[in-house]
This record gives sequence, C-alpha cells and structure tokens, in this order.
Amino acid sequence: MKLAYYPGCVAQESGKELDLATRWVCRALGIELVEFPTFSCCGSGFVDEANEVLNVAINARNLAIAEKAGLDLLTICSTCTGMLSLANLRMKDPKVRGRVDGALKPLGIEYRGSVRVKHLLRVLTEDVGLTAVKAKVVRPLAGLKVGAFYGCHLLRPADELGWESPEEPHAFEDLLSAVGADPVFYRGRVMCCGFPIQFVKGETASRIGGRQILDAKQHGAHAMATPCPLCHISLDAYQNRAETAVGQKLDMPVFHLPQVVGLALGASPEELGLPRHLVPVEPALARIGAASRA
Amino acid sequence: MSAPATIKVPISVYRFEPGKDAAPHYQEFTLDLAPHTPILSALLQIRSEQDPSLSLRYSCRSAICGSCAMQVNSKSRLACETPVGPEVERHGRIVIEPMRNQPVLRDLVVDQAPFWRQYDGIEPHLKLDPRHPMPDGAPNPMTPEEVDRFKETPRCIACAACYSACPAVEADPAFPGPMALAKLYRFVVDPRDQAHQDRLVRIQPGGLWLCLRCHLCTEACPKDVRPSERIRDLKEMAIQVQGATEAGSRHAVAFKENIGETGLLNEMKLARQTYGLAALAKELPQGARILRKKPELRKRPHPIQGMDEVEQIYAALDRKEDA
Repeated sequence: MKLAYYPGCVAQESGKELDLATRWVCRALGIELVEFPTFSCCGSGFVDEANEVLNVAINARNLAIAEKAGLDLLTICSTCTGMLSLANLRMKDPKVRGRVDGALKPLGIEYRGSVRVKHLLRVLTEDVGLTAVKAKVVRPLAGLKVGAFYGCHLLRPADELGWESPEEPHAFEDLLSAVGADPVFYRGRVMCCGFPIQFVKGETASRIGGRQILDAKQHGAHAMATPCPLCHISLDAYQNRAETAVGQKLDMPVFHLPQVVGLALGASPEELGLPRHLVPVEPALARIGAASRA
Repeated sequence: MSAPATIKVPISVYRFEPGKDAAPHYQEFTLDLAPHTPILSALLQIRSEQDPSLSLRYSCRSAICGSCAMQVNSKSRLACETPVGPEVERHGRIVIEPMRNQPVLRDLVVDQAPFWRQYDGIEPHLKLDPRHPMPDGAPNPMTPEEVDRFKETPRCIACAACYSACPAVEADPAFPGPMALAKLYRFVVDPRDQAHQDRLVRIQPGGLWLCLRCHLCTEACPKDVRPSERIRDLKEMAIQVQGATEAGSRHAVAFKENIGETGLLNEMKLARQTYGLAALAKELPQGARILRKKPELRKRPHPIQGMDEVEQIYAALDRKEDA
C-alpha cells in the first residue's frame, strides 16, 4: 500500500515522536509513505476561522499535490483530517469552487476532487485490517487498560467525514483490542480536549482536558491514547495544568495511536519517542513488560 | 398489518429529588416494546403503569415543541423521536438521564433558566434598520438570496440539546452556548437589522471565542441547525468588523499570517503573537518545561517548497481586514 504522507506541522516539531512512531509502524505493516516537501499546513481550524475560502484553497492545493501523484492522503492528526476533508466537501459548492479555482488555476493547479483523506486509524482498521495488524503482534498489551481519546475532527461533523459514528465510535477500541489491550469506554472519549482555546482562556481549556482525563481514570484506564497530536499536547504537555484545574493528581500516561500499535509490534520505547513525553509512561510500560532502556 | 414483534427493553432511569434524596439514583424497568417505539412513549408507559411519580417534560410528541430533550445513553436527544430499538441493539439497554449543564429540578426535569438567560443576552429581536421599513401590509423586503443567508438557523426549536452537549458551556459560564450564538448569527445576517456590527463587537469579550469547534452541538441538534458552523461564520465576520482584538481573533489571524510566511506553523512565534509579551512572560515556565522534552519547539520552520504558490493564493484570496 502506497500513500501520500501528510504529517502535519506538530508532528514535524514538538510532536516529533508521533512522526517517528508512524514511520516505524508503517514500515512494519508494509505501508509505503510518499513524502512531499511541498505540503503546507492545513490551517488547523484557525485559518478557517479567519478566512474560510483561503482555508479551502490552501488545502485544495495540498490535495492537488496528492492527486497529481495518484495517491490518497494519509493523515496522523484529527485536525488535519478534518480540515482536508472539509476542503474536499466545500469544493463541491460551486461558489466556493469558483473562487478557489480562480486562485489556483493561474498557478497551473487544478484539484478535481479524487483524493480520499484517510487518518492512520482508518487505514489500519479498514485497509490494512485488524486481522493483519493482529498477525504482527509480538508483545500483546495484555492487562493494559487504555482509554481511546478520538479528537473532535476525526469524527465530526460526520457528514464531512462519513465513516464512524460521531458520538459512539468504536474503530479505535477495535484497534486497541486487536493489539491485546483492554479498551476502556468512558463518556469523555468523544469529547473535546480543550486545545482550541488553550491560547484564548487557558484555565477553561485545562478544565475541559482535565475532565476527560479524570473520566478515563475513574473508568479504570491505566493510559490514554489519541490519534491527534493537538489532543496530545492538551492531555500530556498540559496535564500539569489539567491537574490544577480539576484539583487532583492525574498521572495519566498518554500515547499517540501509532505508539500503542508500535509497542505491540515490538518497537522499543526509544524508537517510538516515548522519552519525549511530559507525563512518564513507565507505569504503563511496566504493565506490559516493555520498560525503557533509558 | 399484523402487530410488529416486541423486544425486551431494559431502561435505567435517573431519579433525583433535591432536598429529599441524598443523591441521585437509577431505577430499573423492563418493558416489552416494538423496536420503533419512541423513548418518550416508553417513559410515559412507565409513568402510567409502574411509577406515577416519574417527572419529565413533554408536549407535542412530534419533535417540534422542543420539550423532551434528555440524555439517551449519554447522547442529547429528543425522546419523542428516538426509537428504543437501535439503542437496545447497540448498548443492550437504555440509560435515561436529564440534560447536562442545567440544574436538576426533579428526575428528568431541569431548570432551563441559564439557557434562556444566555438567549435573552443576545437580544433575540430585530433592531429595525430604518432603511428597511416594514409598514403594515408591505411585502417582506428580503430577497430570496437574503433569506438563504439564514441557512438552517430558523429551524431551531430551542430544545437545548446543543447546550446540554457543549463542553465549553460545561466548563465556563461565560460561554453563551451554541443555541444563543446560532440565534445571534440569524440576526447578524438579517439585512433588516441595523445592529449587526454592534452585535458582533459585543459578543466577543469572553463569549464567541470560547467555542471549541468540537461540533458536538451540530451532532446533537435534532433539527440540523449546525450551530458550530454558524459560530465559525460569526468569528470570520467579527474579525472583518473589528480586526484582531481578542485573544481568539489574534490567534486566528496570527495563525493565518504564520502560514502565509513559511507555509508551516511556527509554534513559538504563534504563542508570542497570541499572548502578547506581558501574558507570554507568565507562560515561560510552562514553555521551558515543554522545551526540555521537545527542543524542536525552538526551531523556525524553513519555507516549504512551492511557497510562492501559497503566497499567490494568499494574494488572491486574503483581503486585508478592516482595522
């Protein structure tokens, strides 16, 4: 399987461990990643707030790059998935399309609308398939209770994304079961991490993130896992503030999705960038006999 | 036509009478019902046949009065239009709870005062523009295109399902909530209203920019009003009217400019632009903590290949905001 790899900005900067883990897992599962140094940022929802048509246009340009190469697009961030999918949908509106084409055509760029945007979670569950993932497991994550945390833009609005239930998804939990972990179901798994307003009103953002972590903890989760590096920032890098907001220690290790899969497929914690996390993951690793060498 | 086969429907209903009960509890019932039976009918059957003390709100039973919003297996739903069958199939049972984000008065009845206060706060009435007079008997002066600008917002039945589903409402009483903002949008785009600039200015401090665009409201809405998308529209219009004056609008505009410079996000620069120097100083310890583990944060991204294309797209589509 060959896909255009759209890592997104955060996985190339502060969330580098997500990029490392994605490459490791894709290598292990025979997914060929084709890279394009021409991709721009998806706008992260913020450009959409400032200028909707501009946001569609920069993403139509990204999609056109993949289309020209005849490839579907692999994303590893819920927000990138949402923004690129939104561009696909908005380009079907003749008024929007007219304005976007007016900006792209003079540059020799045309997007015909054929690229499918697929998050790694979807590729693993739909294209690779859970049976094939399971067959590669060498270290089942038995006994590790993991709370999946989806991130809004992987699921909603559902009519833009059109794959999972926006309120009661199960793809992530299915994947966790396939690698031997015990998925934990809790209300917060489909809620917001608070990230979009981290810069607007930090205490409110941390209260929102903290509630979801606390919910996972109260349902017995030893760790959380997220398909979105922005959720990861909220849940891991800002967990100290979430603790202040909810008034208690949380000590919740938070994995990126491919890190959980990578651990089960035999990667070392270092290969998956786990030492880069703010909240130590060792208590979770100890449960599956994967203690770090460091 | 023969009667459809029935299924066993286990229902767990939230019960609480503040002042009398020490804590909420759940009461278990099992009914034999056809799968298409609305949950409201199931609750009314419980009340008439098993426990007359069960309190709930309802009226029209036709998904138009907006009275019977509640949580069905943790989702905000109108009980009158949600059938029992799919819920039992998916969850094995149905857990019924009152709406969230509003205090419980008794059982499934909540105090909607906070919801209505937020609605009143946006002044949900036309402030007529004298250039659009509507003398008695005159035809509606709006064109069909102008009516289209309302999008789906006139469909709102004020059931508060969105308010119940909203994590920003849950975390911050300053946030007006999806319904009030969708209503605000409806008045902002109304060409007969003379206050639309004023409305956009007044909604910003502490209000508009707390929307997380999580789209939970859009999924919860039984009438497909799509509040989260109209809140996005309000944000863009607010920037056009007032420029980047709030933390939220500064962040959105700075992000856009960031991408216009290199094609990629510059995390450090964005933080500087959004916070301003004084607020940034308070963030330095947190930043240093993260930098120790993630030194790439300090890195300035190189412009992407093909940056000239991005620049030309910006030149074509990004008009300057009004200062």
